[in-house]
Amino acid sequence: MACIDPYVVEVEQGEQLLTVEGTITTAPGPHVVKLTRSDTYGSVFQGLVRPVRQATVIVRDDLGNVTFLRENSEQPGDYLTPAGFSAQVGSSYTLQIQLATGEVYTSLPERVETVPEIQNLDYQVVRIPVEGEINDRSGVQLLAEVNDPSDQNNFYFWRTGISTFILKTRPDLFTPRPSDSNPSRDPQPKDCCDTCFQSEAINNQGIFIATDDTFNGLSTRIPAGFIEDDGIRFVETHRAQISQISISAEAYRFLRLVKQQTEISGSVFDPPPANIRGNMISLDNPDEVVLGYFMAGAEARSEIYINSSELEFQQPVTIIPDDCRELPNTSVDPPIDWNP
Amino acid sequence: MKRFLFIIFVLFVQSVWAQTEVKREVVGRDIGQLKGIKISARVIDEITGEALVGATVTIPETNEVLVSDNNGGFELTLERAEYNLLFRFVGYETVSYPITAVGEGRILVKMIQEDFQLEDVVIFGRDPDKNIRSTDMGAVTLSMNTLKELPPFLGEVDIIQSMATLPGVTQVGEASAGLNVRGGGADQNLIQFAGAPVYNPTHLFGLFTSFNPDMVNEVTLYKSVIPARFGGRASSILDITPKAGSVDKWGADLMLSNYSGKISVNGPVVKDKVSIRGGIRGSYINWFLNSLSNPDLKNSQASFYDANVVLSAPVSENNEFTYSFYTSYDDFGFASDTTVSWRNTSHSLQWKSKLTSKLSMEALGYYTIYDYSIFNQAGGSSDFDILSGIDDIGGKIFFQYALSESNRITVGGEYKQVKIQPGELIPTNEQESGILPQKVQDELGTEAGIHFQHEFELGEKVGVTYGLRYDTYQYLGPRTVREYAENQPLTEGSAIGETTYGDGDQITTYDGLGPRVSLRYSFNKSTSVKAGYNKMYQFIHLISNTATIAPTDVWKLSDTFIEPQIVDQYSLGFYKNLKGNIFETSVEVYYKDIQNVVEYKDGANLILQNHIETELVPALGRAYGVELYVKKNLGRLTGWVAYTYSRSLRRVITPYEEEIINDGEWFASNFDKPHVLTLIGNYKVSTNTSISATFGYSTGRPVTFPEAKFDFSGNSLAYFNNRNEQRIPDFHRLDLSVNFKLKGQGRFFDGDWTFAVLNVYGRKNPFSLFFVDEAGQPPQALRLAILGVPLPSISYALRF
Repeated sequence: MACIDPYVVEVEQGEQLLTVEGTITTAPGPHVVKLTRSDTYGSVFQGLVRPVRQATVIVRDDLGNVTFLRENSEQPGDYLTPAGFSAQVGSSYTLQIQLATGEVYTSLPERVETVPEIQNLDYQVVRIPVEGEINDRSGVQLLAEVNDPSDQNNFYFWRTGISTFILKTRPDLFTPRPSDSNPSRDPQPKDCCDTCFQSEAINNQGIFIATDDTFNGLSTRIPAGFIEDDGIRFVETHRAQISQISISAEAYRFLRLVKQQTEISGSVFDPPPANIRGNMISLDNPDEVVLGYFMAGAEARSEIYINSSELEFQQPVTIIPDDCRELPNTSVDPPIDWNP
Repeated sequence: MKRFLFIIFVLFVQSVWAQTEVKREVVGRDIGQLKGIKISARVIDEITGEALVGATVTIPETNEVLVSDNNGGFELTLERAEYNLLFRFVGYETVSYPITAVGEGRILVKMIQEDFQLEDVVIFGRDPDKNIRSTDMGAVTLSMNTLKELPPFLGEVDIIQSMATLPGVTQVGEASAGLNVRGGGADQNLIQFAGAPVYNPTHLFGLFTSFNPDMVNEVTLYKSVIPARFGGRASSILDITPKAGSVDKWGADLMLSNYSGKISVNGPVVKDKVSIRGGIRGSYINWFLNSLSNPDLKNSQASFYDANVVLSAPVSENNEFTYSFYTSYDDFGFASDTTVSWRNTSHSLQWKSKLTSKLSMEALGYYTIYDYSIFNQAGGSSDFDILSGIDDIGGKIFFQYALSESNRITVGGEYKQVKIQPGELIPTNEQESGILPQKVQDELGTEAGIHFQHEFELGEKVGVTYGLRYDTYQYLGPRTVREYAENQPLTEGSAIGETTYGDGDQITTYDGLGPRVSLRYSFNKSTSVKAGYNKMYQFIHLISNTATIAPTDVWKLSDTFIEPQIVDQYSLGFYKNLKGNIFETSVEVYYKDIQNVVEYKDGANLILQNHIETELVPALGRAYGVELYVKKNLGRLTGWVAYTYSRSLRRVITPYEEEIINDGEWFASNFDKPHVLTLIGNYKVSTNTSISATFGYSTGRPVTFPEAKFDFSGNSLAYFNNRNEQRIPDFHRLDLSVNFKLKGQGRFFDGDWTFAVLNVYGRKNPFSLFFVDEAGQPPQALRLAILGVPLPSISYALRF
């Protein structure tokens, strides 16, 4: 009866607003500040979010120390902190940007608070029914156990880091594209290799945040990340990494709005759209809207090995008919710290 | 068509005239009196013995029309002559009562509810020219018989959704719980059942109304000049009266539809003295949810029921006691391990007494509870329940003194105590829970009101009603109240201290005078103009982030930061009846000023919020509109056309930059729908078959479109700035139903089949548009349609 379907709306030409996404933490860098411009909401072609290049980007602490960030030559619009830079607990940081066209922007100061260690990392399989599909989507939800300190109001933000997992391929099924020089359509097996270690930066699927309003001073388990099972990642052993970052109350409020928007499901109880205000301001024109947020926090990392035999539900294995070394970020040798 | 109507009219007139050779009752003891013969008449329901209040008697010989009082009584003053009295009452067959008046005496008239015995004439609406004669403005009474003529919603009459077919009354969308009356919010309506307020009269988030139609006598909506005896809500009063059982014999009603079933039983506990009516209704909607394709709904579980008991004791001709018990319960288990549930329970006891022939009294006491909760049962250490609720306990008394038929004074008073539990989080597993128990402070308030109203006529042409209501409100401890720094917005950061109030200490108080005035000038018997003004105060606010009433809402009493809602409404109307009251027409214009409505800061966090003032901004409201209404009361074809042009606007005026919404300009409220058109028709195909149709059209409600998209942490996000500047597509929907009556088969029961289709042409009327970013796809707009397909229902009702 109730249904949800796409609807074409006429959206006015979107404004190209400067968007800032940056987090610096106490972990060794490089930390990334990403500058882009917003565009028209609509199809892919209508509004392309473009990087902002050749800006001067600095991070200033409350003692007046200035750190210059350099633009990543491989990823335009990404500005990286120099080697050796990391944020210090107790310091406040501001981000300052000067565009190639001269406009100057600054963030409000963000203070770095301490963060407790992740006591334990656990996981559970989550199945997500999909409308119109027989097979559920699924994946592994990571649960962080936090020993929340009772003497302060803590705000947590979790990011998934680099995952490393055993990649299984079928070089014996390798079948090149028929060509004039090699017209055969039969498999032409390769000798090697069917097992590699692949590493992959997992994009956060959803926003994982928490405030200790409901668990101040307690030890609790909180969903801190989700890695989708794509039929490749969980074939044998998978090592997942989680960063737990302390953020400010304002950053938490910002991320809560982002989370709220990403979780809109179209039910009648959805909250109305909210203007997601960040902490960046223009020094030239106070009325100019700048999107995004610059965060600074302390970071604690933890990792966990997930064995596929312990997962009660898995996606069918995706068959890759090639040498596993042909895939990006692979190696036949395990990483030095591989210790399942 | 015109000719057809003419024939109907002629038939009707003939049926009135066709009483030549009749047996005439001689009334009174003949002592040779010639003039000033006083005859008291009383009309009652033949089956239930209930007094019929508001029935009319027409005396064609003297050209008089009288309306029955609270006890169903009339006082006729006649000369010694023969009369052909005509008694009429909405939903009842007209009774022709020929008498010869010879001396003072009494007559008792028993009226029977009409079904389809009147071959092709149905009276549909209260006594015929009341809309012209009375000084009331914007008061609409619908009997259950009228409501039954509308296409049923999911198998049965739906009181709330039927109200939304009247001019000036809208709903946010399909299956939304609240009503928006003349631009007011869903919390600005006092919905009372048997005199007790009901906070959430819905099942399944608004898909059904939680009043069992078999337990309802009639429904009155006051949307313009609200009588002084009602107060406490800013926009409207929806007064639902329960139906008493029969004092004469036992009977039962049973209905089964493909969505729900209900049964009610009524009869005399003590014959002719005490009657009971009890009913229960429940759903078996799970099969329906499970057949849906949406995975969230498919794996959901819903159940609801409601139950009523009405005990009525017309202990004497002058005294009647009524006790009513009402409860409704819902729970809905989402696929995601979250269950929400809500329950309304109310008790009320009413005493109606006729103290003298001119003075009557009504006293009522009630206790009502609304509880709602959210359970999270994922099966881990973070399981919890959030419990919330409201308790109201109150009493009211009012007296009516009738100097004459058209000169009445009412006075009365009212008191209530409201206790709100805004939310308490209880971890399921107390020993090893990963979450802390949490409780938002309970709230306590008292409201008291006294009122006076006088209604009189100056000659034939002018009618005046004026009244005054004085409301006073106290917000009481125990409570800890924050103080905020001056000249700063109320935020966590601007809190500078706290004051603790003890049990029963007064924290703040508000009061106000609410005048009510309406004037009527009649050009002739079928044409009048009326003008009115009223002021209403409301000391409770529904703080909701969604467009509909939901168990996640927060009810909040007025406090130091959130002042009472105040509405000033001015209205003007022109009324004309045509063709001997077959057609009623009216044009009404209104303008409303609303103070102290609340708007939300972006992304306001309302659940378990101890300092809700930090999430809100006070706003002003303004609403105005024109309502056109044409109704056909009689004939094979009956029904109405209502068109409304109206606006409902909001504005936030604040000195603080961060609280400004839409640059401080007026903007559309969530339920601003400028054009609304409703067409309703009921056509009697034969004595036992009728077809009815409802067509509704309205401008799409406002939504906020993104002004740009931006990337953040791997998500494509929408940037929203000004609120409610665009609209969802227009709404229109046609519903049809066919009803067959099987009358007196074997003199055992009457059966009644109804087939209905909602949304006949399957329009996907959007409830909302929303914007999502799905992995691997560009962000896009999606539309949520609640009723996306034609939805058939079938029901069978039996009466024993």
